[in-house]
Amino acid sequence: MRFENMTDAIGNTPLVRIDAAVHGLRNIDLYAKMELLNPFGSLKDRAAWNMARPLLAQAVERGDTVVELSSGNTAKALAVIAGMHGLTFKSVTNRMKVTEIKDLLLLLGAEIDELPGQAECLDPSDTDDPLTRMYHRLAESDGGYLHTDQYFNELNVDAHLNGTGPEIVKDLDGRAPDYFIACVGTAGSSTGVAAALRQHNPEVRVVGLVAHKSDFIPGIRTIDEVHEVGLFDPDVYDEVETITADDAIDGLLTLVRRCGTLAGPTGGGAYQGAVRHLRAIDAQLTERRTAVFIVCDRVESYMSYLRERRPELFGRPPRRNSLRTVTDAEVRQAAVVDVAEAERWIAERRGLVVDLRSPFAYQALHIDGSVNIVDEIFAELLHGGLPFGRRQPVLLVCPVGEKSARYAALLTRMGHPDVRSLDGGIIAWRDAGAELVRD
Amino acid sequence: MPLYLSPRIGPTLQSALDETALMAQLSDALGSPLGVILPQQVADNVAAFRSIFSAHRLAGQIYYAHKANRSSALVRELAATDAGIDVASLAELQHALGAGFGPQRIMATGPKNEEFLWLCAVTGVTVSADSVGELAALATLVTNWSLPRVRVMARLSGFSSTGVRFTSRRSRFGMSAAAVSEVLDLIEKHAGALDLVGMAFHLDTIGLPEKAVALEGCLGALDECRRRGLRPWSVDIGGGFGVDYLADGTQWERYTTALTEAVLGRRAPLTWAGHGYGLRAEGGHVRGALNLYPAHRPVSGPAYLDRLLRTTAPEQRRPLGTLLLDNMYDLHVEPGRALLDQCGLVLTRVLEVRDEANGDTIVRLDCNARDVSLEEHGVLMDPVVVHRTTTAAAGPVGVYLFGNLCLEADLITRRKVFLPSRPRTGDLLAFVNTAGYLMDFSATQALRQPIGRKVALYRDGGAWRWCLDEQYWPVHRRVEAA
Ligand SMILES: Cc1ncc(COP(=O)(O)O)c(C=O)c1O
Ligand SMILES: Cc1ncc(COP(=O)(O)O)c(C=O)c1O
Repeated sequence: MRFENMTDAIGNTPLVRIDAAVHGLRNIDLYAKMELLNPFGSLKDRAAWNMARPLLAQAVERGDTVVELSSGNTAKALAVIAGMHGLTFKSVTNRMKVTEIKDLLLLLGAEIDELPGQAECLDPSDTDDPLTRMYHRLAESDGGYLHTDQYFNELNVDAHLNGTGPEIVKDLDGRAPDYFIACVGTAGSSTGVAAALRQHNPEVRVVGLVAHKSDFIPGIRTIDEVHEVGLFDPDVYDEVETITADDAIDGLLTLVRRCGTLAGPTGGGAYQGAVRHLRAIDAQLTERRTAVFIVCDRVESYMSYLRERRPELFGRPPRRNSLRTVTDAEVRQAAVVDVAEAERWIAERRGLVVDLRSPFAYQALHIDGSVNIVDEIFAELLHGGLPFGRRQPVLLVCPVGEKSARYAALLTRMGHPDVRSLDGGIIAWRDAGAELVRD
Repeated sequence: MPLYLSPRIGPTLQSALDETALMAQLSDALGSPLGVILPQQVADNVAAFRSIFSAHRLAGQIYYAHKANRSSALVRELAATDAGIDVASLAELQHALGAGFGPQRIMATGPKNEEFLWLCAVTGVTVSADSVGELAALATLVTNWSLPRVRVMARLSGFSSTGVRFTSRRSRFGMSAAAVSEVLDLIEKHAGALDLVGMAFHLDTIGLPEKAVALEGCLGALDECRRRGLRPWSVDIGGGFGVDYLADGTQWERYTTALTEAVLGRRAPLTWAGHGYGLRAEGGHVRGALNLYPAHRPVSGPAYLDRLLRTTAPEQRRPLGTLLLDNMYDLHVEPGRALLDQCGLVLTRVLEVRDEANGDTIVRLDCNARDVSLEEHGVLMDPVVVHRTTTAAAGPVGVYLFGNLCLEADLITRRKVFLPSRPRTGDLLAFVNTAGYLMDFSATQALRQPIGRKVALYRDGGAWRWCLDEQYWPVHRRVEAA
């Protein structure tokens, strides 16, 4: 395979059978359309390229900025495509919730504009949805934008009508599957694929999956939000069902651990939703049927999402010398000095003063002669052992004397014989009128 | 299935509601509408906020945003706690002083006229200044009247962030965070008149990320102060901590989904004249945004403050609470709505219940939409029916609540309200948890209809007692048993 451009590698993804031993359906062959293998990482590469391509020549001529309301895969694909053509990409979002994607966008050189959150006091003049707000902004600017408009652009649907859908039919030897299950974001993929499949077999059952109302599954809409989508037409779907974030993660775990498929949450949700929907049907069947679902993107971008929801999946062995293991009894036994005593101790240059506060706070005002090791870094150092010799007397300083007492207790336990904490912390020091300096 | 939006009712409020005979008596004696204030609850709410301060080891003041309710009982009860008060008008300042707040516990915010500024300066309350012009006017006042230095906070707005750009709604208030050096120049020029004690903001948003950017912006401004040798020690993060109005989040979800369907015409209208609360249908799709208070807010009040303090500062990458503490700054808050959670209700009398030819049931109340301003503030929450006699026809009923003004628009709420049982003429509807902004914030005497009276209801010696709001003082005169 030799290509002139990465965009030539978009599409033609494999259709892979899911092992019956995993899904447990007896009469249904279940296949996954592996959209995660697209070059920029997702199904949305197809839509992004199809929507942007016809406008690029003109945009390059004028130096337009590519803009889209997206906090995920569409933004990612458009940012790459814009970059390939020397254009800037701006992502407008309601809330950029997945940190990895945000960081990737920034790495790609994208600008990210967050729209304001909901007003606490009701403001009757604030009647617009994010999309309308973005339209207003584009209208206010005097041009200079290539807006791909994924929620309304038919080219989004066409990418799948002419690409994803026919590929599935070809790989099933010219037959459409009996069931097609897909998550709904812009509805572009499900609408396009459904239309292509129905050209071959009008009887195809299409199931659209949306997120449970109070759940967040990155990339797709909730049951209410889906009605805001311009491309969404309820008649496309024989059924619209909801999946929870838990379903999505359960499915994701099955795909990544057992199916060699490094799927993101919507791939997992589509798998879980498909098996749930098909299980009831499977029990009644007497002949073989075929079902296809879409794996939209890859797992790597969702580590923080998974860590937040399933911390137990990331369980690591406890680290040694951890502050959390210090008991209250140990803290009570830690040596403390009050402000007057500390002033004397410092004046006589009896040892090292370590200020555990943030660098900014330290730089603004601190005790003369102290060194700054912010607590996070201090904790990190202690995992490795004592960062100073046992014969080096130490005075620890923090805001109110609590953290420093805990660290003093920890250092004592680690075998340091001469460590103490400033009682009441730097706030007591300030309140006593003792000297604070800045350099 | 009736689409209830049942209010969240705490034990104190419930125990007051259970006094049905007393409620009926009060309503008969003092008229409808009647604001019922539970002043003692506010002290518990102060303590709940205080406990978040303690958990983060932060010092600072909880300033009650007086604008949320005109009640004297609340202000006097608060004067007996360790809270402060945020006053936003000359009359509110007079009220606070008269209720027992000393000037060191008062913060003056909002747009101010010269009289307001003068009384602030003479009494020595802290002035949270909205503009450079206000600071200049204050300095002139202090100089001309040879007054002692006035403590000032500089209210900032228009904070910027790096990386992800967080847009905030434009605010009428505050000085540009980017131009803080101008503000400090002026303060230094008038060092004899103005004593800068901190930086402030108040953002009208429920969004934590915007507040995180603003708080970190204040830290940056305070850094600039330190560079110049000024020593302000506090950050005031304003109000907007919110209230969780509903008992059951699934009711809220069911209701809003049903509203979307109704707007799309997929089910019978849930509102008067098909009002969509900001949603509208265009070509089979929903447009607009739900223009409502998020009545189901599990993280609100003190918990919201806690969440904010735990939020990592976008630039310095440390929790905001830790940064405040690192810098030895006091944290000030100005909660209005959140501090009045569960602090009162509005009692209204049912004048008429009738069934219309089209099947709608109308309940006409002796109050208007300004007396219980749920609609104006976008709070969707059901009233509680207080039956005078035994329950009328059992079973739920969907009704429209009409007000007493001769105005087509005077509906207490434009949505159909589902009540668990049908009220009768003379019964009472209690709009609970309305002390914050929903009681008298916009009450008027249009059509010469009276503004509702207010009573304070308090526990004393194990019993509920009441007096007119203006008669209430935290020192309760024991009523001797007869
Ligand atoms: C991760 C993920 N899954 C599924 C979808 C749904 O695809 P479509 O927008 O074609 O409905 C999207 C779309 O943004 C997505 O980002
Ligand atoms: C400056 C200021 N502080 C505090 C508040 C109180 O806000 P809330 O009642 O939402 O807590 C307001 C409300 O408008 C305000 O403008």
